[in-house]
Amino acid sequence: MSIKLKALLKSPWVFHLSTGSCNNCDIEILDCLTPRFDIERFGMLLVGSIKHADVLLITGSGNRKSMERAKRLYEQIPKPCLVVAVGECALSRGMFIHSYNCPVPIDKVIPVDVYIPGCPPKPEAIIAGVVKLIEKVRKSTEKK
Amino acid sequence: MTREEVLDDLRKKFKDDIIEVFDKSPKRVYVEIRPDSIVQVASYIFKDLKARFNTASGVDLRYHMEILYHFLIEDINLLISLRVKLQKPKLEIDSLSPIFEGSSWIEREIHEILGINFRGHKDLRKLLLPDDWPEGVYPLRRDYKEWDKNVIRDRGV
Repeated sequence: MSIKLKALLKSPWVFHLSTGSCNNCDIEILDCLTPRFDIERFGMLLVGSIKHADVLLITGSGNRKSMERAKRLYEQIPKPCLVVAVGECALSRGMFIHSYNCPVPIDKVIPVDVYIPGCPPKPEAIIAGVVKLIEKVRKSTEKK
Repeated sequence: MTREEVLDDLRKKFKDDIIEVFDKSPKRVYVEIRPDSIVQVASYIFKDLKARFNTASGVDLRYHMEILYHFLIEDINLLISLRVKLQKPKLEIDSLSPIFEGSSWIEREIHEILGINFRGHKDLRKLLLPDDWPEGVYPLRRDYKEWDKNVIRDRGV
């Protein structure tokens, strides 16, 4: 387990999943990949297939239809994996908390490792969250 | 045709069908018509006036439901909204999907969310709601009540 996670930290490949967000968080995530913020210096890359990914990055409030798909994606991602929730909607559903179509928050369905708040979070906040995640996993592997 | 000609034409042609014409702004006109004559009026606007069907919107207004069909005549930049009022217990109207395919999906959406029945629509399946959504529960009606027992409505703090 620990060697797998250690290897994962060098280049965590990210699969970006939007469960019905307003696309503002998605735009900020794409901003992270631009030369200005350049999240690739941590070895991160957006991949097109869940089977190539180490990190599942979720945005959006998680409605009844898309959470079924999210569950299915979580089953397909190679373990060990990390799950990052980006944006207020993914954390607590934000303004959609009383919506008929958003019954439960995402972290009741899928175990979430890092929460990045904001509506939308700045690219700096996303990078800070990701660095904290890497630090946390590195510390947990060093102990063992 | 200019804007005035279009409106006069509509008034003359559908004298018995039109209840009220509300001239809101130079770009926008609301035409309230009787529910039975929606197919005639809509097909005239679509085929003869060469308008584009934008979308339709349904509203639940306590005593009746309202559907607005938005048509845009691009040459003169005029948006005509056909307003139809449906009295509450009997929510039925003729479907426009046999005339133009574009109204098919928005009618499916209004059907699942407000429970209005479109006569003559070939395929009134669910569009946005999940398949296990219970029958006869319409989320954007005023009398909608929470039906799911497993929902969480607090932020956990």
